[in-house]
Amino acid sequence: MSKFDFTVNGVRRAVEADEDTPLLWLLRDNLGLTGTKFGCGVGVCGACTILENGKALRACQIPASEAASRSFVTIEGLSPDASHPCQRAWLAEEVAQCGYCQAGMIMTACGLLHENPNPSDDDIDHVMSDSVCRCGTYTRMRKAIRRAALEMSSKK
Amino acid sequence: MMTSRRDFVKTAVFGGASLLIGFDGSRLFGATKGNAPGFFTPNNWIRIDGDGLVTLTIGKCEMGQGVRTSLAMILAEELEADWTRIRLVQAKPSADSDLGTGGSDSVTSSWKPLRQAGAAAREMLVDAAAARWNVDSATCSASSGAIVHTPSNRRLDYGSLVADATKLPVPENPPLKNASNFKIVGQRTRRIDGPDIVSGKAQYGIDIKIPGMVYAALERPPFTSAKAKGMQEEKARVVPGVRSILHLPRGIAIVADNTWSAIKGRQILAVEWDNPPKDAFDSDEHWKQLEVASRETGFITREEKSPPGTPPVTKTLEAFYRYPFYAHAPVETMNCVADVRGNRCTIWVPTQAPERLQNQVAKLLGIAPANVDVNITLVGGGFGRRLAVDYAIEAADISRATKAPVQLLWSRADDMKYGHFQAASVHYLAAGFDAENKPVSWKHTKAGSFHNISPLDPPEKRDTGWYQDWSWGCYDVPYAFPSIKTGYVPVELAVKHGPWRSVFAPSSVFARECFIDEIAHARNIDPLAFRLEMLKGTDVIKAGATTIDRRRLRRVLETVRDNSGWGSQPNNRSGRGVACNAYFGHTYIAYVVDIGLDHGNNVRVERVVAAVDCGRVINPTGVEQQMEGGIIWGISSALKGEIIFRGGTAQQSNFADFAVARMRDTPAIEIHIIGADAERPFGMGEPPVPPIVPAIANAVFAATGKRIRSLPIRLEQLKA
Repeated sequence: MSKFDFTVNGVRRAVEADEDTPLLWLLRDNLGLTGTKFGCGVGVCGACTILENGKALRACQIPASEAASRSFVTIEGLSPDASHPCQRAWLAEEVAQCGYCQAGMIMTACGLLHENPNPSDDDIDHVMSDSVCRCGTYTRMRKAIRRAALEMSSKK
Repeated sequence: MMTSRRDFVKTAVFGGASLLIGFDGSRLFGATKGNAPGFFTPNNWIRIDGDGLVTLTIGKCEMGQGVRTSLAMILAEELEADWTRIRLVQAKPSADSDLGTGGSDSVTSSWKPLRQAGAAAREMLVDAAAARWNVDSATCSASSGAIVHTPSNRRLDYGSLVADATKLPVPENPPLKNASNFKIVGQRTRRIDGPDIVSGKAQYGIDIKIPGMVYAALERPPFTSAKAKGMQEEKARVVPGVRSILHLPRGIAIVADNTWSAIKGRQILAVEWDNPPKDAFDSDEHWKQLEVASRETGFITREEKSPPGTPPVTKTLEAFYRYPFYAHAPVETMNCVADVRGNRCTIWVPTQAPERLQNQVAKLLGIAPANVDVNITLVGGGFGRRLAVDYAIEAADISRATKAPVQLLWSRADDMKYGHFQAASVHYLAAGFDAENKPVSWKHTKAGSFHNISPLDPPEKRDTGWYQDWSWGCYDVPYAFPSIKTGYVPVELAVKHGPWRSVFAPSSVFARECFIDEIAHARNIDPLAFRLEMLKGTDVIKAGATTIDRRRLRRVLETVRDNSGWGSQPNNRSGRGVACNAYFGHTYIAYVVDIGLDHGNNVRVERVVAAVDCGRVINPTGVEQQMEGGIIWGISSALKGEIIFRGGTAQQSNFADFAVARMRDTPAIEIHIIGADAERPFGMGEPPVPPIVPAIANAVFAATGKRIRSLPIRLEQLKA
């Protein structure tokens, strides 16, 4: 067991863990940030997606040893009151059904819009197709991403 | 019949007076001693507090079908509640509760009792206000959480009337609102849990943390009779965070301080299992058995003999259809928190079957079901998988052995390999034609397997209705053939299996709707026009317990015909197909699907035009969401992964080898809701699923001339 320091949602955190513990479980078990979900453990479903410098990452693929000294944002830190344009767009388009994958989807969308503020439908499909929603909320998700992109670009 | 108990008291438990109305589907009653267990334990109740807050205990499980929102809407409508002042509480199972959530039954079965409960509370508040003002009740009305006396322009909030209302009797037959006065039902309403979901606050089973809780992974035998040959127990014990390794009847549990230690401990333990016997369960062998069985007569589920004078059959068309094993693969894998202490057990679990879970855990522990306290969380995808309670039994067993509250989490591979799978089935279809090439007989035999999620009814209870229940979509063929014969042949199935989204309907409706297409093409008739033709005659027909209104089915077909450009040819390398279904005679859906083929001959669903008649619509947004989700579910079944068994074990283990539809597979979807002003509502979680796969398969035929009789659709099937 070793001690690892990293920043989550702007707060410096220290955890005691085995060095190969994926960041996903540090967030969930050690820090109680359960908004980041487990879905596959091998980086193919996107449920555990978080942000680092605006870029979307899979928390199940980052061991504690590599997480040290870095700074991450989880769904809990995206906004204090569900006011991030993606969160608002998700509500406006009524995307969620069971909702389980949605935090990961929102974080993936944030990552997409960070790198490509005005994505085409193909761009959206390409990036979002790395994530799984078994309820099949894709149609509304696409609309929500377009809506968020529009709002974010009109603010600039 | 409703009964009422006329004695109410104030309840100190809630820090003031609260009006409590309980209802359990058939009865409506008030509270005497708060909600003291054993004395006042309705499965559902509404409570109105002195501050006006309305609490609704939801007696169904939320797994994405939007039931928490739609049930709250029904109640708020009749109660004339302020929609912003409603709080939901999840009910717990008890001896006489019915919280089981499946079969798209929640809205259908809750519609009347919820309205009656809401109306009863509303009438009591009206009477309390009228008494306070000393006016006639008829001059008072309820609106948005208050009673209003229009002649004198006076208004009292519900909260201020609660204390008086509790002293009044519960009305026996409260008047229900006229549908023309609905303000909430039928309006686009946002999902109640939406804000929690998008901010990561929504709590699923996996999110439960209990003080002192440990974490477990379970290494299960990969096939029945498997024995562990060896394992690295010493190495696994020293993995940081691993507490113990328990050899239990259901497998080897690795108990740890956190999830990762349990996962890693299991990896290091590296259990080596012996080789499966030669006769271990194998998909190919099972297909052979099913195919042989489908030629048998089986149990006849419906038989209608040709009326006298029907011309004889001179030609027969027959076909076999195969529907494979699938995994439910919800994104939240199976998990459960169990805390066994002496003769009591507390459970936190995402489940669709709270009573089954309570009873089976009680049986495992040898305690009374009332001693198993089940807390139902949000469900991260149900689809029928969580009607089985295997994962809760495992968790309770581990908690008992380790003497601590424990969270058992299944890995994705566990979830794929140890599912209660959608069971494979083979369908024999035959149509007889007379000398003029008119279809005069229909035969459909389903060879499939009973569920093994709970014990079956004893043989003496297995009547025609019982067998019909295993073959939805088969016995209830809506078409007017002079002679109809449907049957069910049960085939033993050793692996775990159970209901899935739309339960038994998808396999039978796939076979039926594709074979109808075959008949139409054999006669050189437009398949949509042929369906309409075959839905003429008696408007309302009876098939076992199911009543089918052919007018409603015709109407959804006509709607998709008129809105899809049916009859015109889509582009080159594409095809258009149709299918429809009357789900239990409740919800009627038709689809027209356009598919395209890329240069590699891969099928892509380009567009779906849908028509749905689910009776009175509670929340149009909810209806559309279920349609969209059902279509995507069907695209997964038609074009993506299947589960294949070799050596008694499912070969698939992740979304990489059991593919499901992704955003890139999503077509343009156009939904037409019709008949929304009907008297009563019907379910929407499942009905969108059955007709989408045959519509896709029929579109593939239109594009390629290749008849799809097995799933998922593979490139080999499309080769010339």
